[in-house]
Amino acid sequence: MVYDRAAWRGHGGQSFRHRIELSPYLMVVPALLLVAVFTLYPYGYAIWSSFQVLSPILPPSFAGLKNYQAVISSSYFFNALGNTLVFTGISVPIIVALGVLVATLLNQRFFGDVVLKAAVLLPWAIPAAITGVIWKGVFSDSWGALNAVLYMLGLIPEYINWLTTRHLATAAVIMAHIWMQFPMATIFALAAMQAISEELYEAAAIDGAGAFQRFFFITLPNIKVMVIVVTLFEVLMSLNTFDLTYGLTGGGPGTSTMFISYFIWAEFFKMLSYGKGAALAVILAMVALAIIFAILRLIPGEALLGGKEE
Amino acid sequence: MKIRWNRIAVYAGAVLLTVFIAAPLVWIFLSSILPEEAILTFPPNWFQYGFTLDNYHYIFTGEIPKSHLVTGQLRTMISQEVRLVPRTIVNSTLIAISVMIINWITGSLAAYSYASLHFRARTATFFFITLSRLIPAIALAVPYYTIVQQMGLLNTYWALIAIYSVLTLPFTILILTLYFRSIPREILEAAQLDGCGPFQTLLRVTVPLALPSLIGTGLFAFMISYSEFLFALLITPAREARTLPVILASVSWNPDVTWGLLSSSIAIGLIPTILLVVPVWRFMVKGLVAGGVR
Repeated sequence: MVYDRAAWRGHGGQSFRHRIELSPYLMVVPALLLVAVFTLYPYGYAIWSSFQVLSPILPPSFAGLKNYQAVISSSYFFNALGNTLVFTGISVPIIVALGVLVATLLNQRFFGDVVLKAAVLLPWAIPAAITGVIWKGVFSDSWGALNAVLYMLGLIPEYINWLTTRHLATAAVIMAHIWMQFPMATIFALAAMQAISEELYEAAAIDGAGAFQRFFFITLPNIKVMVIVVTLFEVLMSLNTFDLTYGLTGGGPGTSTMFISYFIWAEFFKMLSYGKGAALAVILAMVALAIIFAILRLIPGEALLGGKEE
Repeated sequence: MKIRWNRIAVYAGAVLLTVFIAAPLVWIFLSSILPEEAILTFPPNWFQYGFTLDNYHYIFTGEIPKSHLVTGQLRTMISQEVRLVPRTIVNSTLIAISVMIINWITGSLAAYSYASLHFRARTATFFFITLSRLIPAIALAVPYYTIVQQMGLLNTYWALIAIYSVLTLPFTILILTLYFRSIPREILEAAQLDGCGPFQTLLRVTVPLALPSLIGTGLFAFMISYSEFLFALLITPAREARTLPVILASVSWNPDVTWGLLSSSIAIGLIPTILLVVPVWRFMVKGLVAGGVR
């Protein structure tokens, strides 16, 4: 027998702990190996290539920090970074607020609530690249539904060039991104709300608290941690935005909806400057890692894995 | 009085939400059955030319839509590329099913271990796996591309299946661990007293009890794989090997494809997604929302 009682969670047997247990490792190894091979090696490779001069035709040579210097001094980089910051700064707060609002709505009982709860998942479930194309159908300058509807309602005298005007194109991308991402925020917020004890609300109702007071004094404080986690998660998602702009604007007009992920992709596969692309990827990964550690600090490990002592 | 206002606000919110979710999709379905001239007319009047199924007809049979002949354009605004859509749905589905199965096997093994066994580096490896997914995909794109190219796996599904498994496993393991933990320990102990080792206990007790969570995470893995774009774009340059999101994004920039034709291909491509939304809700999100996370 390879396994024994000591391996069982909380089953006493302290004295058997020292015996080497193989089965837990055997069970974890396939998944762990797969994830490790596909994260550690690529990362090592990305870091290595960020210090090299790489091109499809020439042999690699050591470049030191030149790639990083070239990237950071490039105006395209700052353009992409600025676009990403504006995009993130506007869309994330709206996504989180909308998510909490919709979760509050779906937390009520009403006719058709179950159907709506499932339907909320739809924008999230649609492939992001396709979401980009779907919203192109809405915003398109010449045949978009938005222009047609606004015109038919008599709200605009002529069609607006949503996707070929700098700021309007950014607004269109933000709109599509909100549509795609608010379901996730809703689900997280709803999960946190369901964990709040009914008694708190009943007690508040007896004390004469109205709907708004109950929301601000009971719901909001109780979902605070989840809201922070969702916010950080959504920041990561917006750093990841690539598929959406690919279908909707292609980074245009000009470079006005060129976000950091799209910029890295263009650096690699349009400019073929692998070293610079890798340097950018490393910078982005560092930022992401910082956010991940922030999330980690907010979620106590015990909450996910369960206490070791029981 | 107060309660009535609340009800009105709730229903108004529900209607607004429904419109917000549905409007872009309704336009996709509507424009897919409108003739081309109805969409392009200015001032806009969508309904004066009636409806047509020509676009769908073309995608499945290759028969050129009437409107392309009637308007007498010099070149027909049409592309064979669109006709790849049904095939790419099959491609994407095959990939997604494989990923789902890999998730079930490796995911439930790992989750069982994390949920009910003690071992060294348990916490560290758990966080390594679950958080690895949060690193921006683009940072991994080129290394993946280089690795896959060196292994000679470009344009194969193997590479995509492996990559998607890595992308989906963290979430599967997280959810399955949470779910497996909720199974009463007494049941596992009873199985163990009957002489079951960890592997048998997992197969005979945990899996049957946790079936809904397995279905949920499986569907979730399916959906992520079915939707993925970036890696599919990089790793399957050949047209025949492409997945649905890639072909649709490519078609959307093809000047020879009309919006009606594009929206019909989107509508077809969305069918699996729409069919899967309810089971995903039922088997995964519902459990999550019902107090799995605290």
